[in-house]
Amino acid sequence: MKAQPELSIVVPVLDEEENVLPLVERVRAALEGRHTWELLFVNDGSTDATAARVTAAAFADPRIRLLSLARRYGQSTAMQAGFDHSRGEVVVTMDGDLQNDPYDIPRLVAKLREGYDLVAGYRMRRQDRWLTRKVPSWVANRIIRWITGVPIRDNGCSLKAYRKELLDRMCLYSDLHRFIPALAAGTAAAQMAELEVRHHPRTAGSSSYGLSRVWKVLVDLLTIKLIRSFRLRPLGLFLRAAVVSALAAILLTIGGAVVLAPGVRSLTFATVVLLLITLAAYLFMLGLLAEFFVRVKSREHSLAPIATELVA
Amino acid sequence: MSARRNTESAGGPKPGLRGAASAAVERPNLSVIVVVTKNPQPLDSLYEQFSSVFEDRGETFEFIFVGEPWTREHLRPVQALAEWGHPIRVFQVGDGTGESGLLLAARDRCRGELVVTLPSYQRIEPHEIPKLIDRVRDGAALASAARIRDDDRWVNRLGHWGFHFLLRRLVGTEFRDIASGVRVLRPEILDDVPLYGDGYRFLPLLAAREGFLVEEVEVVQHQHDRRRKVYSPGTYLRRFIDLIGLAFLSRFTQKPLRFFGLIGGTLVLVGATALVVLALQRFAGTALANRPALVGAVLLTVLGVQLIALGLIGEIIVHFSIGNRPGYRIEESFAESVDSMGAATEGGGAEDDGDPTGAEGTEQTEPPARHPA
Repeated sequence: MKAQPELSIVVPVLDEEENVLPLVERVRAALEGRHTWELLFVNDGSTDATAARVTAAAFADPRIRLLSLARRYGQSTAMQAGFDHSRGEVVVTMDGDLQNDPYDIPRLVAKLREGYDLVAGYRMRRQDRWLTRKVPSWVANRIIRWITGVPIRDNGCSLKAYRKELLDRMCLYSDLHRFIPALAAGTAAAQMAELEVRHHPRTAGSSSYGLSRVWKVLVDLLTIKLIRSFRLRPLGLFLRAAVVSALAAILLTIGGAVVLAPGVRSLTFATVVLLLITLAAYLFMLGLLAEFFVRVKSREHSLAPIATELVA
Repeated sequence: MSARRNTESAGGPKPGLRGAASAAVERPNLSVIVVVTKNPQPLDSLYEQFSSVFEDRGETFEFIFVGEPWTREHLRPVQALAEWGHPIRVFQVGDGTGESGLLLAARDRCRGELVVTLPSYQRIEPHEIPKLIDRVRDGAALASAARIRDDDRWVNRLGHWGFHFLLRRLVGTEFRDIASGVRVLRPEILDDVPLYGDGYRFLPLLAAREGFLVEEVEVVQHQHDRRRKVYSPGTYLRRFIDLIGLAFLSRFTQKPLRFFGLIGGTLVLVGATALVVLALQRFAGTALANRPALVGAVLLTVLGVQLIALGLIGEIIVHFSIGNRPGYRIEESFAESVDSMGAATEGGGAEDDGDPTGAEGTEQTEPPARHPA
């Protein structure tokens, strides 16, 4: 077993046979003499020669490692697999399509060592289609920032550096890789910084993304809000919704009975009010259930946030 | 899944009564598990037909028959064979265990390198089973029999077609015969696939979803399997419910809010739109107080909010459960082994090393590496 490297670079790849070897070369050139490193490719069910090319590179250079997942699991799970098998003190993630520049890695690491748990890349002059990539991304980042309250401007940039201790406290699943800063803030109270990074146009292979993911992202936003703000006190969320429903019932009672139709006894209005009261009670009970579940489960998890040691 | 009540176990065959083929083997090639369910055919004839195929191929094997207490009468003939020294073991598990539980109980006791599962009635010609075994020895994790139904009755084919049509549509898999029950598999699979309820029926699908290599092999259907099979409406309903559950779990296990949120969000949207329309009409002069549409609109919104709330509960459950188990399976790893090999001087690798770093963007020559099959 080799000594623990300083850096683990985790690269999820899906059908990137054209890009794998150039990426290896660039990483090697960028990091040679600066850090000890390992480059861990996570093959997320590629059907082309990606795995074979990484394997060949791994034979030549033991710092290059390959993890082949048994089927296609999606980027979040692939990244988590990479985190689980990385050995470095610092973990850097990047895309396998050469759009990120490995020469940015030392800068990210230096920034991280200033005392952050996560340094997120921020793509300055983004080299992507304007209408299908940039505009949706700008809107999405605005909304994510607004809803989660985490001031990261570019959630979609894969080039990020993490302290290993942060990754031990966080688990990526579903499609949460789009919300890593919010997830890190929610589960580990991580301290984060942003750093401008370069962005290259895609030269080979095709993008695995499309516009169709919009509604999924919208739903996932609700999930990440739940994790970010109410993970350990879900009752707070459900109670708020219950109060809104109860308030609506009260307002309707007052408005309906007194203002709109004084003296008229309306079965319709009464039904609506009762419905809203029922909803409030239901939401309150669900909140209690969630609270109960979190209490039971909290024994299985370390809930300690991550702390940075301050040196005077 | 308790296997404690296996009082019917024959306690191992008596050695010396029969020839070498039937002597107890410490670790046989094959453990044949027969889950005994409704309307089994005579189990001793099932044993004889399949065991002769295995014997002809020189396989060592053990048969494990497992059933609930009511199958005791059916198990008696094979128990007698076991007492004669045939490599048969018989287990009994408590009432209400179900096929999945029976299979797991048998897996606990089996010692073979490969597991063959057979239903307790013949669905395929016994001489076809080696095809499946060979497929697993060639690298598949599970080989499932797909019956060739050309000579089957049209009722059976219709039922089969309908079920698999729904399976394709709802679950999105291309299995041609998921429920044949004749499978050859590596026993480790049963430790990793969540097997409960109707999991037995969908085992190939569940294994594929766990990332195992699953293959279907076309085999000749047994003539007994071609008899007319029509079930009660309740059975068809249960199958349909199975499919619905499977479709939900296969898509939304990690993201329940995508499901509940989509339906709930749609309902809220429809309800809210209706409320806006009603409010506009109110200001246009239509009295609101006695319109049933108002109740309808509020009801839709309330239901939508309830569904979203349920989805949030689901997300909390997922969030706190996901860390306990890695949600992925690794097929191949050049992560640990390579270190001990060091810089093995493979031809292609050495070339790579010698390459100048100015190779950015230019096409690399392809190294003569191991290609995936």
